[in-house]
Amino acid sequence: MATVELLGLSKAYGDVEAVADLELSIGDGEFFVVLGPSGAGKTTTLKSVAGLVEVDRGDVVIAGRSMRGVEPYHRNVAMAFESYALYPQKTVFENLASPLRSGRTGRYSASDQQQRIDAVTTTLGINHLLKRFPRELSNGQRQRVALGRVLVRPADVYLLDEPLSHLDAKLRAQMRAELKQLGEMSNTTSLYVTHDYQEALALGDRIAVLRHGRLVQVGTPHEIWRTPVDSFVAKALGQPEINIVDAEVADGRLRAAGGAIDLPAPQHLDLAGGRARLGFRPRDLGLVRAGATAPAGDVVLRGRVGLAERLGRLMEFSVDVGGTDVIVVADSDAGAREGDVVDLHVPLTDVHVFAAGPAEEDTLRLGGAAVREPAQERS
Amino acid sequence: MAKEMKPGQKRVTAGSVVADVMILAWFVFSLFPLLWMLLLALKNDADQTSTYFAFSPTFENFVTVLSQRGQDLTSVNFGQAMLTSVINCVGAVLVSLVVGVPAAYAAGRWKYRGSEDLMFQMLSFRFAPELMVIVPLFVIYNTLGIFDTKVGMVWVLQLVTMPLVVWILRSYFQDLSPELEQAALLDGYTRIRAFLTVALPLVRPGIAASALLAFIFAWNNYVFPLILTDSAATTVTVAVTKYLGGGGQAYYNLTAAAALLGALPPLVLALTIQRYLVRGLSFGAVKA
Repeated sequence: MATVELLGLSKAYGDVEAVADLELSIGDGEFFVVLGPSGAGKTTTLKSVAGLVEVDRGDVVIAGRSMRGVEPYHRNVAMAFESYALYPQKTVFENLASPLRSGRTGRYSASDQQQRIDAVTTTLGINHLLKRFPRELSNGQRQRVALGRVLVRPADVYLLDEPLSHLDAKLRAQMRAELKQLGEMSNTTSLYVTHDYQEALALGDRIAVLRHGRLVQVGTPHEIWRTPVDSFVAKALGQPEINIVDAEVADGRLRAAGGAIDLPAPQHLDLAGGRARLGFRPRDLGLVRAGATAPAGDVVLRGRVGLAERLGRLMEFSVDVGGTDVIVVADSDAGAREGDVVDLHVPLTDVHVFAAGPAEEDTLRLGGAAVREPAQERS
Repeated sequence: MAKEMKPGQKRVTAGSVVADVMILAWFVFSLFPLLWMLLLALKNDADQTSTYFAFSPTFENFVTVLSQRGQDLTSVNFGQAMLTSVINCVGAVLVSLVVGVPAAYAAGRWKYRGSEDLMFQMLSFRFAPELMVIVPLFVIYNTLGIFDTKVGMVWVLQLVTMPLVVWILRSYFQDLSPELEQAALLDGYTRIRAFLTVALPLVRPGIAASALLAFIFAWNNYVFPLILTDSAATTVTVAVTKYLGGGGQAYYNLTAAAALLGALPPLVLALTIQRYLVRGLSFGAVKA
């Protein structure tokens, strides 16, 4: 149990900045998720905390102690590698016993070791694999063993590098649920790296979003989801991606898609320059037949369904609104078919307003289209 | 009528017949010197210059090479020369492994300014003809008093074997994921223990392969022992040629017998070590 602070952490590989001036403060016992696309510097961040990467500038502070010049084996951190990094010449049991036998994580008698390993393998459902070698395991089993080698020992910090990434979708969802219930996890400060926004939202006490080695936003899952700091964060979360359309400000209105999208310009936002971008998440939009009544106060966009894909109970529609394609995920009960004219409606609180900018470039979020931001649900 | 083909059966075509004949021809061509040497070793003194395949074979030559008579003919004790060769080569291989394995690990793991140049420099020892350096070496050896000693031979032979060991093992270490050692560091092991307990056991096939190759190269070396030894530390490669008779009669049959005997130790070693030469020990360590 310990706090972790990253103070101006910087690391470059040649000309490529893997991590630049990263400042993070992680609380005792917190489950902290680092989210970002590949190449964002997530693994470099973890390995810097572990002491496996020599940082160029900045410092890592664990439990109030600077880690400058401290060897990895003196830091009392445990790490699950994305590649598993299981010892191929050792059985699962020996792999799990390895941290207990080094003498640096505490002294354990043979029966203590047995007991700890039994406890961990039972939790992870791998106690029938103890005599096997890593090459005889499936990827899902290897990932569990790698996780077991972390959980088997007491540590100040757990570092988890995409521990669920190579599982198939079903097992991933199952393991995600299991991870959250592991007692060891909830008691130990954990730094969890992932590129999967669902994992981040489901597991994180707080989330840090990284891009090109720089911190974009830190916040609770609710904050990150409801008030993304810019269009990059908004696009990083949610599948399908958030719809973003260019809009013009005139006469106190925000208009986009040739006037097919028209809503009152929020007075509390600085929309100088006469241009902005609007964002709607596919799941925040409702879909009704053209002319049917939408909930009061919602913005209504009329369009024609171009493509309808069934996802199960839900359907994904691509709707042509004034020449702009808007993606909507709605209940299949809506009954819309390809070619139908429909009305999309969205509450003002779910309309994100971003600053205008050059195409293909991410811009800051100015705020919501409603006068007030939605109330913060703190957990 | 077309016949049903069994699995594994190949259709016989003109092309495949030609290919087989060519392979066979190449086989005969490349193995014929060996066969000739074997026949020569089995001939008695009267038959040794004949080119007939028909003769009454004898094992006398092998006995002669290993006996006092052989020593009288050449002033070299062949058994002693064999033993010296073994000591020299094992010594050179051991030195190469003790120094070369850590060197290969360092070279495989860390890049720094000039590291590639250093590796190339080491390899360049193998480019230069041995004859180019033999005269200065001869002078140096005489000055240091290690002419015709086993220590001197080990020293010069490890120049031959070390680059091999370092270059072969470097690629084995490079194939190994550094995350394995990183995992060991986080398990609480020091860098040296991580190297010894994690990395080293996984390159055992590489160690076996490079040690074998190094041994063969050292064993076959001729120029260094020819110039840098006299009688006390002379090796089997030099001893074999003594039967060609420096001034006296040339015994081709004895030369062939001695050469065959001299080829045995590397052969036996290769067969023994063969089962360690499998790759893929590290399979399953990291995701493919």
